[in-house]
Amino acid sequence: MRSSTFLMVALAVAAAVFAAGLLASRSHYGYLVFAGIVVLQYIVLATAWNILGGYCGYVNFGAGAFFAMGAYAVIALERLGRNPGRWLSDTYFELLIPLLPLSLPSMVAIGGIVSGIVGLGMGYLTLRLRGVFFAIATLALAVVLHTLVVNWDFVGGSRGHTVIRPARVAVGPFSLTSIEYLFLLMLVLAVLALWVARSIERSRLGLGFASIRDDELAAEASGVPTLRLKLIATTVSGALMGMAGAPLPFYLGYTEPNTAFGLGYSVNAIAMPMIGGATTWSGPLIGAVLLGTLQQIATVTITSVWNLLIVGVLLIAFVITAPVGIVGLVREFLRTAAPTRPTSRAVGLILVAGFCFVVGALGIIFSLQAVQAGSPGKALLGGAGLVAGALGLAASWGLLKLQSWAPALACAAFFASIAVTSGNLWLAWEGVIAQSLTIALSAAAILFLQTRWVRLLYRRHPVAVPVPA
Amino acid sequence: MDLLLNAIVGGLLLGGFYAAVTVGISISFGMLDVVNIAHPAFIIVGSYIAYIVNSTLGIDPILTAIAVLPAFYLLGQGVYQVFYLSFEKRGEEALRGLAFFFGLLFVTEVVLILVFGVDYRYVQAGYIGPTWRLGVVDFPLRTVVPCVVSILLVTALHLFLARTFTGRAIMAVAQDQQALRLLSVDPVRIKRIAFGISIATAALAGAFLIVIQPVEPSVGREYIGRIFAICVLGGMGSLPGTVIAAMLLGILENLTATYYGSSWAPAVAFGFLLVTLAVRPAGLLGR
Repeated sequence: MRSSTFLMVALAVAAAVFAAGLLASRSHYGYLVFAGIVVLQYIVLATAWNILGGYCGYVNFGAGAFFAMGAYAVIALERLGRNPGRWLSDTYFELLIPLLPLSLPSMVAIGGIVSGIVGLGMGYLTLRLRGVFFAIATLALAVVLHTLVVNWDFVGGSRGHTVIRPARVAVGPFSLTSIEYLFLLMLVLAVLALWVARSIERSRLGLGFASIRDDELAAEASGVPTLRLKLIATTVSGALMGMAGAPLPFYLGYTEPNTAFGLGYSVNAIAMPMIGGATTWSGPLIGAVLLGTLQQIATVTITSVWNLLIVGVLLIAFVITAPVGIVGLVREFLRTAAPTRPTSRAVGLILVAGFCFVVGALGIIFSLQAVQAGSPGKALLGGAGLVAGALGLAASWGLLKLQSWAPALACAAFFASIAVTSGNLWLAWEGVIAQSLTIALSAAAILFLQTRWVRLLYRRHPVAVPVPA
Repeated sequence: MDLLLNAIVGGLLLGGFYAAVTVGISISFGMLDVVNIAHPAFIIVGSYIAYIVNSTLGIDPILTAIAVLPAFYLLGQGVYQVFYLSFEKRGEEALRGLAFFFGLLFVTEVVLILVFGVDYRYVQAGYIGPTWRLGVVDFPLRTVVPCVVSILLVTALHLFLARTFTGRAIMAVAQDQQALRLLSVDPVRIKRIAFGISIATAALAGAFLIVIQPVEPSVGREYIGRIFAICVLGGMGSLPGTVIAAMLLGILENLTATYYGSSWAPAVAFGFLLVTLAVRPAGLLGR
């Protein structure tokens, strides 16, 4: 697909998502738009991280700091726009007045530029050393910037800063609420980030990045200007991270350093591309949508601390068992199950594995809530759900890895999910549509796993785990 | 003048403690090339073990730490085995190994928050309150005791590395694994032992930490920059260099805290690291 075609398709998808968001926002599901903004924010952040981390192989642990730089650049601009305490003398301020108040998109752009410059500076200091030093320096940079912001009174210091969202924003002929406006803005940013990442991946630049990732010494020796390419990568990646963070003050309303510099952003920025698959643009997208949604569900059902734990455990599990993430698993599966072209049966099996993963993950989240709820009946179901959830996660991995035990385990997990869901319905008649849908899909998946093709596929490859020496 | 003298002495004592915190990283990162950024997490686990034993049984935190050294040694061997099988053997340690340790750091912190909450915890011991005075200079015992034990620890490790066969093998594994194989020594076993020792030092460092300051789960993050700054400046795996660099950072941090306020102190360590990386990446006593 050509780059311009991709952009058109992405914009069309974004428009559809925005229409759905508008519908949700004007009905009873307004919360979905808030959740959507967070997921989109993670898409931008993960894609940005991946430009340096996935393409060049340089780990940035300070994604949270770049993110917060964008947010604080916007706060500083917003404060500047109101000129508190005559911070600028009147003559200078009058010169600026025609430019003020800055619109949010221009503030986002400036936030991106600030973060990009920080990225360039840090890259210049550390990228001449081994990659590990860069990783450690990013950790250090996060704390330095955090300390600077805590001690910087103009943006509120550790007291934090409150931004009042405008009630309505006019976009062309439409009048949107500010949350809908932020949703639109994040969608545009997400499309921009994905387009940039994809264009880089398929250009000479991307080839250069890949050569750095695979063997930097060999790349240098064959004439790739490695330092310059790495600086480009840090700058672009930093700028996009800043843009991801720039709308944060308007989204949260009240921003303080500990939220903006939260470790959660840094961890998610690493975990999402690693889990999705770090060498392609689609990896961070898949990872961000999957993890972002799971975390939103976990936040409303259990607490936010638990969802951080889930991300951490998934990150460790994936780097050990699936080095190239979900994209890698799927590609490897297709190579053996449908070598010539992706057949509908192979795609069906991938969908079953994906459904198995989602059932497993959601099973664990809801079961954790049930265990904490207290009533003995629920706790018992919750305990069973935890076991079933873990089985589901293992089975989804096994299905894609063509392990001979996987179909049986997946069937067991689906049966368990049917049992637990029916038990839930029996205890309390709520959420009927979602639960009966789960039961129906699980039953269909079990039937699919009994077909002859699936049985042959898993018999033909009793142990199909290629372990590179 | 009194203030300056006190800040310098306080910094030296603090530096002694930093040496204990860093010596584990000097072994794992400096000698084995294993970028264990989860080291501070193990230190915090050590602190919490000292806290639990101290608050239930009333046993001295440093004695507790010495008692759990073998457990930490085994834990370290286990972690290295997982790391070796999953990453080093496949030659993927650069990107994924870092992410693995980052995940470990993060999961440990979140689990500690879930179990103990974010309250600050502290311990009771006879030497935590009193302060010796020599002229105008204060010697608070809560930093003197960790500093002395820490110097003992580093000296013992230095002797072990320089005098015993295993110790020399650890030094050698950093330079040439193939040569070690020719001596019919298994480099993986040597690395496992060395990593075990590195994690074992975290138990002691954790006990020192909770003696010096109250501890909550996310305190460990502040130490990442410090320990890597010290390790790099000390010359990556040189134990005397580590002690010198630790004292230097301690003094610098204490001077900043005295003259500019303690909210700037964390930035000192990290600024120190950035400057070190930019100006002299080989460190003070670098090879």
